[in-house]
Amino acid sequence: MIRIQLPGAVALLLLGFCSQLLGQSKYEYGPDSQRQDGVPQGKVTQHRWENSKVFPGTQRDYWIYVPAQYDKTKPASLMVFNDGGGYVREKGHSRVPIVFDNLIHQGRMPVTIGVFINPGVIPAEQPGGTPRRNRSFEYDSLGDQYAQFLIDELLPAIGKDYNLTDSAEGRAICGISSGGICAFTAAWERPDYFSKVVSYIGSFTNIRGGHVYPALIRKAEKKPIRVFLQEGSSDLDNLFGNWPLANEQMAAALKYAGYDYQFVMGTEGHSGRHGGTILPEILTWLWRDHPDTPQGSN
Amino acid sequence: MMKKYLVLLLLWSGTSNPLNAQDLPISQIMIDGESWELVAEGYQFTEGPAVNDAGEVFFTDVPASKIYKVDLQGKVTLFSDQANKTAGLMFGADGKLYGTSIGGKAIVQFAADGTPTSMAEDVNCNDLVVLADGHIFFTDHVDGKVWNVSPDRKLKEVASGITFPNGIIVWPDQKQLVVSDMKGEHLWNFCISADGSLNHQQPYSAMQLPIGSMESGADGMTVDKVGRLFVCTSLGVQVFDTQGRLSGILSKPQRAFLSNVVFGGPDLNYLYATTQDKVYRRKLNTTGVRFTK
Repeated sequence: MIRIQLPGAVALLLLGFCSQLLGQSKYEYGPDSQRQDGVPQGKVTQHRWENSKVFPGTQRDYWIYVPAQYDKTKPASLMVFNDGGGYVREKGHSRVPIVFDNLIHQGRMPVTIGVFINPGVIPAEQPGGTPRRNRSFEYDSLGDQYAQFLIDELLPAIGKDYNLTDSAEGRAICGISSGGICAFTAAWERPDYFSKVVSYIGSFTNIRGGHVYPALIRKAEKKPIRVFLQEGSSDLDNLFGNWPLANEQMAAALKYAGYDYQFVMGTEGHSGRHGGTILPEILTWLWRDHPDTPQGSN
Repeated sequence: MMKKYLVLLLLWSGTSNPLNAQDLPISQIMIDGESWELVAEGYQFTEGPAVNDAGEVFFTDVPASKIYKVDLQGKVTLFSDQANKTAGLMFGADGKLYGTSIGGKAIVQFAADGTPTSMAEDVNCNDLVVLADGHIFFTDHVDGKVWNVSPDRKLKEVASGITFPNGIIVWPDQKQLVVSDMKGEHLWNFCISADGSLNHQQPYSAMQLPIGSMESGADGMTVDKVGRLFVCTSLGVQVFDTQGRLSGILSKPQRAFLSNVVFGGPDLNYLYATTQDKVYRRKLNTTGVRFTK
């Protein structure tokens, strides 16, 4: 009995393993998410930020993508990615450097510098201690703390080395899960700085009070921000809330309040797969009327 | 071959979903049919539950200046009648009971016969935590401060600026200190240095507040083996996960002030709660931590 059952169980487990490994999903990456011959490639560099005043004691990695078309005499647009390590990898869920290379080359988005930032970690002071993970504190908390960290601290440092736009119109912020609500929070708090938001499977739930946004959006005077929301019908339903319902509420509130928004409900769970595969379309929509988007509507 | 695939599988299951940060809903620790059960009653104001090596729980009746012991059979006996309004209690790795004597304005150590000896004097104190390396940290709600008593009994101020620091505990690794603010919203985290100083003060967790109030009513805290924090508040025992997120709220045992909690019993799987005139306990599907090494 055992000899028959055990290999069967292992085979079943392996099946699950392989389907994950091979990324079997109805959402497949299109040509804009793959390297194409003749498309100039931007450069990605890795950096570390260890002297935050907004989040004292934190250490984090971040990456900067500079497109091949960048010309230091012309201000470039800016797009920030929360949980940046996941977005910047060419084999990650979104393959951002490849997508940016293709879309900038095709004139579907402006020349844009990508900044990919990981959440902070506060290492223990003594050996053997557990680090204090700051992701939830930075991403799930409402208020302008994270925006402050970006706007007053990290981005000005990057702005010393690169010619970045000084207009909100040229600045976007993107994130997944808690990074998704964080992207929205940054623009909600500082619409004077960020005008474009992309959220994959955003945690508009009660992790640290973020479930209030649909109510706030309906009552607050409309802010000049454009929002793309991606969500999956198999997403989380847990102690913090129900992700699909929360995103439905967000979309309904944005519609009610007259926002320029898009909402895509797929079938995935809490993963970046669907959002990642449609990133070229998301970016095309997001940047469609920017003055520096050659193939845009402007 | 099979082993190799299983290893791969384990690697995959551990790494494929970094976004799916581990949630720790309180449903994981609650046991069907188990609720608060009365342990002892008839006191004025119970506080400071502390557990010894055997799993017996000690508590104080603050105004009466008495400390009691609940043995493993549930029998309550007097341990000390010289407590001088001791509010916080905790056993050290040396097996001795330490306390915060509000009446004596002192951090004290109790001998086996219940006689106190001062470790630090002329201090405003509320609650304390005793680390395995001998460092003691205590809250001072009068001045809004946290103090350290080093193993060689030197007293120093290590934090300030908290409205009403009350409960105090460490993570299971004993490298991270957490202080509750009774008149505010936050749990404050600190990294502990080897010399007992504190760094990187941060309002890491926001507690649920009663409707219409800006005060959590937070008092004593304890921690379980995975690092969940159990915080006594006006709304009940608020449970926080290791990322500082509220995981749920256990109801109060009675409609009265809830002062403190500790895991007790031989397996440290009963949460003991002191609340005004009574002491309760409930069995949970997790265990506490002994700070013995």
